[in-house]
Amino acid sequence: MNLYLCYTVKKELESILAYNGGAIIAMKGKNCVAIAADRRFGIQAQTITCNFQKIFEMGSHLYLSLPGLATDTQTVMEKLRFRLNLYELKENRKIHPKTFASMVSNLLYERRFGPYFVEPIIAGLCPVTYEPFICNMDLIGCISPSNDFVVGGTCSEQLYGMCESLYEPDMEPDDLFETISQALVNACDRDAISGWGAVVHVIEKDKVTVRTIKTRMD
Amino acid sequence: MAYMVDNLVQPNISSVASNLGPDWLSSEQSTGTSIMACEFDGGVVIGADSRATTGAYISNRFADKLTKITDYIYCCRSGSAADTQAISDIVAYHLSLHKMELGMEPLVETAANVFRELCYNYRDSLMAGILVAGWDSRKGGQVYSIPLGGMCVRQPISIGGSGSTYVYGYMDSQYKPNMSRDECVKLVENTLALAMSRDGSSGGVIRIGVITEKGAERKVILGNELPQFYEG
Amino acid sequence: MSSVLVPEIPAPGFSFDLCQRNNFLVKKGFQAPKAVKTGTTIAGVVYKDGVVLGGDTRSTENTIVADKNCSKIHYLTENIYCCGAGTAADTEMTTMISSQLELHHLNTNRIVPVCTANAMIKQLLFRYQGNIGAALILGGVDLDGPHLYCIYPHGSSDRHLYTSMGTGSLAAMAVFESRWKPDMTEEEAKELVADAIRAGVFNDLASGSNVDLCVIRKGSVDYLRPYDIANVKGQRNISYRYKRGTTAVLNKIVHPIIIEGETVRRLETEPMDTSS
Repeated sequence: MNLYLCYTVKKELESILAYNGGAIIAMKGKNCVAIAADRRFGIQAQTITCNFQKIFEMGSHLYLSLPGLATDTQTVMEKLRFRLNLYELKENRKIHPKTFASMVSNLLYERRFGPYFVEPIIAGLCPVTYEPFICNMDLIGCISPSNDFVVGGTCSEQLYGMCESLYEPDMEPDDLFETISQALVNACDRDAISGWGAVVHVIEKDKVTVRTIKTRMD
Repeated sequence: MAYMVDNLVQPNISSVASNLGPDWLSSEQSTGTSIMACEFDGGVVIGADSRATTGAYISNRFADKLTKITDYIYCCRSGSAADTQAISDIVAYHLSLHKMELGMEPLVETAANVFRELCYNYRDSLMAGILVAGWDSRKGGQVYSIPLGGMCVRQPISIGGSGSTYVYGYMDSQYKPNMSRDECVKLVENTLALAMSRDGSSGGVIRIGVITEKGAERKVILGNELPQFYEG
Repeated sequence: MSSVLVPEIPAPGFSFDLCQRNNFLVKKGFQAPKAVKTGTTIAGVVYKDGVVLGGDTRSTENTIVADKNCSKIHYLTENIYCCGAGTAADTEMTTMISSQLELHHLNTNRIVPVCTANAMIKQLLFRYQGNIGAALILGGVDLDGPHLYCIYPHGSSDRHLYTSMGTGSLAAMAVFESRWKPDMTEEEAKELVADAIRAGVFNDLASGSNVDLCVIRKGSVDYLRPYDIANVKGQRNISYRYKRGTTAVLNKIVHPIIIEGETVRRLETEPMDTSS
């Protein structure tokens, strides 16, 4: 066991996290958040479908994405939906995205020594104050909340580069949409196993706008 | 695929990535040690160096390897720091309970047997070489050696740890039965100083403890006050 | 007997049910991914009447900087804080010991001794035999004065007057070994720890960004985050912002969130009934 060291999540084809491919971003704007994902579902280099759902609505203002191994994506989402429903029945109120992040983290850390191969991204607005919140996690549930953007999936290097240069604080919803879309589309162009269509959710206090955008299909 | 190109240009990039740090990052903290204990009439002398290492890095240069178990029983720890600390914490707990039930100070032999029990039962998962030393009213000063497999044997004088291999001969040549307290202290000092100068994973200061009827007295011999011998 | 419709209530603690599958995948030649590590510089010093803890703010995933401003100094109790290095999730979870320490505080109605926190953490880590990769520096002030402990992932701990941990610990220790002295003032101690962390930030590749400090004295704590922004991000002169309409939209659906009614119920606070 190597300690206190930075370690690899190798995005090569032979990595488990890169078995199905995928690219996700979430970004904070002014009183809004956006979360975007590609639509490809493949098994290594073979593309299976181009309308795969990777972003899940967990509440009216709460969205979750689980890039990684697709089988775990769906299993974890269902387990979380179960825990979330139980929480909302018990508490009789909407969950705060931060609380939800802890819930995800808890679920993943339970399997510290035999993890689910997903690296979740959460984006949402606080149900009371409508304050934006985004965060990502590693596969064993270490939460890192962010003030600007979070990325995940097989082309996270490219996404980090795009976001670092394009992101500006306090963007209006429409500008946020352009920024997040361009970051995703251009990053996916340099990743063979992501892309093939993309979907962008912009979450505001009074509405959620879902746009499917045009991308290269190769 | 991009990574494969990377690997051609920088063939060792992946090994650099997985070895960004030196060995001390991954190693367990251990006390590659020199420890010693010696009986005299009316008590025991215990001694240890003060170096704790993780791999090749000295993680603590003033470690205290003489650990109190009761007021009259100490142990000298060598091996994995985590294992020996856990064992001595557990033994200290058992003996303090035993002391309350007994209404008197526990015997050194009892302490040694509790150590042996743990070291033997968990011999496959522990890395611990321990010297248990102390004074009780029944048998006076006693030294028990519990090496790696969990054996327990009483010895009038004993050394342990990685540095001990260098000084067995010295100890054998210098030991005489019925030594006085001061002779014992001097012997422990000299033996440990010799072990520390030859063993790379021992060093620092010498910590000495003398346990008698009156309890434990401790002293430290600093690095610049160590006995000097031929250093080639 | 569990059924598909009535899920079994899972047992508390770690679950190992995916281990077999994961080992199978690894055997098939897929690489198992590794968790985020905080390739870190953390350090702590005891000064005249308290403890100063410090840490950098970079967390890494191999060579990628996963977080540029993460917090590595964790709260344990009012008088005890803890710096964490190693696997990020493990340091985060290990410091959840704070809830047990809070219960200890409520049960005993006394300031929690630092040695209690040390014992609880080292026993937890020892139980997992080094598999929980948390290397911690524990600092606090209790009735016996200031204390500083260094806890290793395998569950060993040492008391120190100054110490450092993580990948940058050598750089930090070099600063301490040359400049530490007994009975420093608070300002001296803060500057020494900050310099030790800076040494890690600038000389260790896995440490970076800012310097966080936490000063714990008897009765008060200063959590300085950031204490020093060692690396300021460059400012862009013009905007790269895309014009609205750049991205070709294939279809757009707006889900309105309509709030149909809002009722506000005011609660009058009543004084607690203490008559009986």
